[in-house]
Amino acid sequence: MENIPAVANNKPLVNNAEFVKLTIYNEYGNTANNNVYTFSSSYQSETIDGVTYGPLGGLLAVGVQQRDIRVTSADTSISISGIDGNNMAVVLGTLIRGSKLEITRGFYDNNYVLTSNAHRFTGIVTNYNISEERQDQDDNFTITLNASSFKSVLENRIAGRKTNSESWKEYNPTDTSMDRVPSLADRAFSFGVEPRQGPTTQSQAATDASQVAQDTNTNTFVDRY
Amino acid sequence: MSGLQSILNYCNGLQIDRRKVVGIQYTRNEIPRVSQTPTRNPWKFTLDMPNRYRYNEARSLMEQLDNLDRITPQVITFSNLPQLSWIFRYQGAMTVTQRNAITVTSFVGNQLVLGNLPVVPNTRVLFEPNDLIQIGNNYYPFTSTTQILRGTSGTVTVTTNRPNIITASVVGNGITVGNSCSFTMFCPNMPTYKLIPGGYQKTNGVLVGNALIEFSDAFELYEFVGTA
Repeated sequence: MENIPAVANNKPLVNNAEFVKLTIYNEYGNTANNNVYTFSSSYQSETIDGVTYGPLGGLLAVGVQQRDIRVTSADTSISISGIDGNNMAVVLGTLIRGSKLEITRGFYDNNYVLTSNAHRFTGIVTNYNISEERQDQDDNFTITLNASSFKSVLENRIAGRKTNSESWKEYNPTDTSMDRVPSLADRAFSFGVEPRQGPTTQSQAATDASQVAQDTNTNTFVDRY
Repeated sequence: MSGLQSILNYCNGLQIDRRKVVGIQYTRNEIPRVSQTPTRNPWKFTLDMPNRYRYNEARSLMEQLDNLDRITPQVITFSNLPQLSWIFRYQGAMTVTQRNAITVTSFVGNQLVLGNLPVVPNTRVLFEPNDLIQIGNNYYPFTSTTQILRGTSGTVTVTTNRPNIITASVVGNGITVGNSCSFTMFCPNMPTYKLIPGGYQKTNGVLVGNALIEFSDAFELYEFVGTA
């Protein structure tokens, strides 16, 4: 179990700040091509695991992070200032949807020195929202990033291959196993029947289909079960 | 008259708020559990203004306040008037020359280590609680939270009210103490003002109308800690 000395032994006072790391991937399939943005609620720049979190990023709020013993599908959000034009550019001008969001909590001693940290959340940005709050002469902008945990993302993942020629040849271009699927699609097929000459093209399939319909109408289509 | 300094000079009362960002929960058996966020802990002053300004004398001030609006910081000090200078008066026993010789050895978290100390008896008080200390030419004043005696070491460690929020190196910088320190404040709620007609003024031998100025609210000054 993760040991957090800063909160162990019934500490009466916990001095802590939150650190948010946003990794935006600029290119599909190339995780090395990324931009990292950091935000924190601390009073100064802090370096955690080699990443420097500046205090001027404009972090306004960090949403609730569900903590369970079991792995659960939890969402959270962070709010950052939209007054900062850089933050607006990050949201509107980058591939922010699908970027990685990590939230860490850092613990300080009584002298305001960072002593330890604990990772709280890792997820993927699923949505963003920019809101303008104007009241009389006060005009503010807030950017909210919604993130889902990896488990939520995996639950929604579409896996496997489709039984058509294109999907099949994605992995092996010479695989012809599904080439006949278009001609068989939606075709009434009676299992156990003596095989007969089938259509190999869509036009032939259409011809066969009309023949079947004609047979049905003239009661010449025999029940073969 | 200069904007916020004029307001400070002539305010009815000064309310100081240096509280930290905390969350407090009381357990079922009434034991408090406290969580604190290590912010920059800015100074907040609330200044109540009387309806004392005559409009014809305060037009310059009004223009300055309108130009400052709610966004522009301005440096204010408590040293410029006798009726203010007592508020943050230095309480220690060092002379001006001795204070000017002191330099910063290090400042990590809220532990400010000072060197080049004066040769005075060990029990001489260098700083009393609430003494202001400002470092070099940086904006932010700090306070000493405890009494600091000279001691026998070459340095003394002052526990300040807030952590070091100066990102530039402060090693070797001199210090300013007491009411010589200055505050960089802005007024996020900048009150509006109302003219209450009354009285006359004589301009070029002609009597013209005048008014007293009534502010809509107190001036809530907030230390500008957006840079470092």
